[in-house]
Amino acid sequence: MRLAAGRYRLVLVLLSLGLLASVLLAVGVGAVGIPPTSAVRLIAWKLGLAERPDDVSRATEIILFELRLPRVALAAVVGLALAVSGTLFQGLFRNPLADPAIIGVSSGAALGAIMVIVLGGGAVMGGLGVSMAAFVGGMLTAFFVYRLARVGPAVNVATLLLAGIAVAAVISAAMSLLMSFAGEEIRNIYFWLLGGLSARGWTALGIVAPLILLGVSGAVVLVRDLNLVSLGEERAAQLGVDIDRFKWQAVALGALLTGAAVSVSGVIGFVGLMTPHVLRLVVGADHRRLLPAVLLAGPMFLVLADLVSRVALAPQELPLGAVTALIGGPFFLVLLRRERRIAGATA
Amino acid sequence: MPPPDPALTLRGVTARYGPAPPVVRDVSLSVDPGEVVGLVGPNGSGKTTLVRVVSRALPPASGAVRVVGRDPYAMSGRETARLLAVVPQDVLPAFSFTALEVVLMGRTPYRSALGGGSPDDWARTRAAMAAASVQHLADRPFEELSGGERQRVVLAQALAQEAPVLVLDEPTSHLDIRHVVDLLAIVRGLAAGQGTAVLAILHDLNVASVACDRIVVLHRGETVAEGEPGAVITDDLLRAVYGVEADVVTDHATGRPAIRLGRPRTLRAPLGRRAHVVGGAGRGAPLLRRLAEMGYEVSVGVLHASDTDEAVAERLNLVRVSVPAFSTIDRESAAECRRLMEAADLLVVCDAPFGPGNLENLRLAVAAARGGVPTVLLEQVPIAERDFTDGAAAELWGALRGLSTVVADYEDVAVEAG
Repeated sequence: MRLAAGRYRLVLVLLSLGLLASVLLAVGVGAVGIPPTSAVRLIAWKLGLAERPDDVSRATEIILFELRLPRVALAAVVGLALAVSGTLFQGLFRNPLADPAIIGVSSGAALGAIMVIVLGGGAVMGGLGVSMAAFVGGMLTAFFVYRLARVGPAVNVATLLLAGIAVAAVISAAMSLLMSFAGEEIRNIYFWLLGGLSARGWTALGIVAPLILLGVSGAVVLVRDLNLVSLGEERAAQLGVDIDRFKWQAVALGALLTGAAVSVSGVIGFVGLMTPHVLRLVVGADHRRLLPAVLLAGPMFLVLADLVSRVALAPQELPLGAVTALIGGPFFLVLLRRERRIAGATA
Repeated sequence: MPPPDPALTLRGVTARYGPAPPVVRDVSLSVDPGEVVGLVGPNGSGKTTLVRVVSRALPPASGAVRVVGRDPYAMSGRETARLLAVVPQDVLPAFSFTALEVVLMGRTPYRSALGGGSPDDWARTRAAMAAASVQHLADRPFEELSGGERQRVVLAQALAQEAPVLVLDEPTSHLDIRHVVDLLAIVRGLAAGQGTAVLAILHDLNVASVACDRIVVLHRGETVAEGEPGAVITDDLLRAVYGVEADVVTDHATGRPAIRLGRPRTLRAPLGRRAHVVGGAGRGAPLLRRLAEMGYEVSVGVLHASDTDEAVAERLNLVRVSVPAFSTIDRESAAECRRLMEAADLLVVCDAPFGPGNLENLRLAVAAARGGVPTVLLEQVPIAERDFTDGAAAELWGALRGLSTVVADYEDVAVEAG
C-alpha cells in the first residue's frame, strides 16, 4: 500500500496534533488540574517568549515544571526510543513480531538494576546508580549476544535471534534467584519488571535524552537500508548495501535506544512491537515514510499510557508496562482483524 | 578494431561454503560487452554459487573475478551495484511494498542514504518498468503479484540499476511462454542497444539455444563444454551431463539446435507380434507411433528418404526399408520389403498418394494379402484423388479392398490391431 503524498502528509499532521494534545492533556490532568491555556502560557514564559501569566498560582507553576512536565517529557523520549528500536529490530529481523527486548537488552538491563538494588547500591547511589547499572547491563548483554552470533565479519540474524532468546532465559533465571534473596527490596524490583516513570525528575531526562537522540539520528540514516534489507540480505547486498556494517549498526542503535529507555523506565512492553506495526498498516512499509510517523506516534502512545497509569486509580499508580499492554493489546487485535489482508501478507 | 575487453571475467574460480569440498572448481569464463552468455547445467551443478561469487556474496577460495576490469571484493557494495545488476530467482519482501517501491530500490546505488528519488531517478524507474512491461502493476502490493509478475518486477528493479553487466539467475522459471519471449527480447535488446554484457542461468536448453551467443555448461562444479549453441547442445551432451536420451535437431529457420524430448525407449511389453505398415507422404506416421505403443514390432516400407513417415520411423527406431527420394523401388528393396510383409502378423496399407515411384508397394501388398497376411486398408481419401499412375494404382487398390478389412480412420486400425 502506498498513500498519495497528500494523504501521507495529512497523517503526519494528525499525528503531530495528537502528540501535542496528548502532552497538554497529560500535563493538565491530575490532583490539581492545569488548563491547557495556563500550561501553554507558563511554558512560553519559561522559554522567555512571554510575561509570566499573573492568574496562575506559584503552586501550579511548581507542579507543572517539577512534577508533570519532566515526567511527560520522559514518557515521550522513552516512547520514542522504544518505538524506533522496535522499528530497527523488525527491519533487521525482517519480522513484524520483533521488539526491543528481542536480543536480551531489556533482561540484561533489569538484571543490572536488580543486582544493584539487592546489593543495596540503590540506596547508596540513589536512583541514578540503578539506572547506570541497568544501562550497562543492557549494553553488555547486547554485545555478548552479538558476539555469540558473529562468525568472522558476518552475523547470522537467525543465530542472533536464538542467542538473544537463550541469553534472556538465563538472565530471567538469575533474576528469579536474586529476587528470592531480595527481602524488602522486592517492591523496587517489581518497579523494574513492570515499568514506571514516577518521580524521575529532570536529571534522568538530562542523561538519557542525549543518548536517545543520538540513537534516533542513527536510525534516520538507516532508513534506506532498512527498506532494502526487507527484500532479503543477499538482495540488499546486490543492490549496494554493506550488509555486515548495516547489521552491526542496527544492533548497536537498537541496543542503545532500548538500554537508555529501560534504564529510566524499567521494562515496558508493547510500545516497540505495536507502534511500527500499526503505522505500517497506515502509511505502508517504506521506512522513509514509516520512521517519521513512528517518531510522532511512539511518544504519543507512551505519554497517554503514562497518563492512564497515573490517573486511572489515583492516587494509586498502575505499573506502566501493564497499562501499555492493556491499552495496546486490544487496539492491536482490532486493527489486525480489520487489516487481516495486509497483516497476513506481512506476518 | 581490437576486440572489446570482457565486461565480466572469471579466472580459475574455485568456491566453497565453509570447510566443505568446493562447489565450483577452477571455472573460467568471460562475457564481452553486447554478448549474451548462457550458463546451463543440471540442478546442483554450481550455477547459483557462481552467481554468488560474481555478485560479491561469496569470495572465491581461489581465482579471480573482474567486473568491468575491477575486483568486486575490492570495491564497496555500492560501486559494485553500479557495475553489476543481478536478477535473483525470487525475492520475497518481509513487509508490504508496492511494485513501484520495489523497482525504485534499484536506484539505490545512485542515491544518498537520506535523499528521496530525484526526478531523474523516477524517470529511469518508470523507463525500467516500461521495459519489463510492469508499469500497470506500479501501485499493486508486490506480495500479491503472481510469480511471473514478481519476476518481471525484479527484472525492472535490476534494469533500473543501469549496470553494464547483467546477471540473471533463472529469470524465466515462473514466466509463461509469452513473457519468456518478451524477456529474451529485452535482454537481447539491452545487449545490442546498450552493449550490456549478459550472463544468464537458464534451465530450458531450448531457450538458451535461441537466446544466447555462447553457452557454458557446468557439471558437478566444472566447465564441461563451452561455445556456440550449435556446438554445445548435442545428443552426447544431453546424455553425458543430464543422462537424458533426446534428439537434437537444427531448426533451419534460426540455425539453432532444438531439443526434442520423448524418444521412446521400451514403450510397452512387446506383444511378440509384428506389424508392417505401407505409408508415404506422412499418412503412416500416426499409425507407426500407435502400433509401436501397442507393443507391436513395427516395420515400414518401402519409403522414400525425407518422407515424414521415414523421419518418424527413424525417431521411433523402427525397422524400415527406404530408397532415395524420387527414385523408383529397386528389386533388392522390394525383396526385403516382401520378406517383412510375409513375416508380419498384420499388414496395414495407408491411403498414401501412389505414383510410379511407389506403385510397387501396392503390388507387394496385394501379393502378401493373397498369401494370407491379415490386411487392414485405411481409406480416408478415395483412391481416385491420389492415383497418379493413370489407373494402375486404382486397380491394385480395388484388388486389395477385396482382400482386406477396410477402415475409415486411424482409430479403427487400432481396433483391428487390438
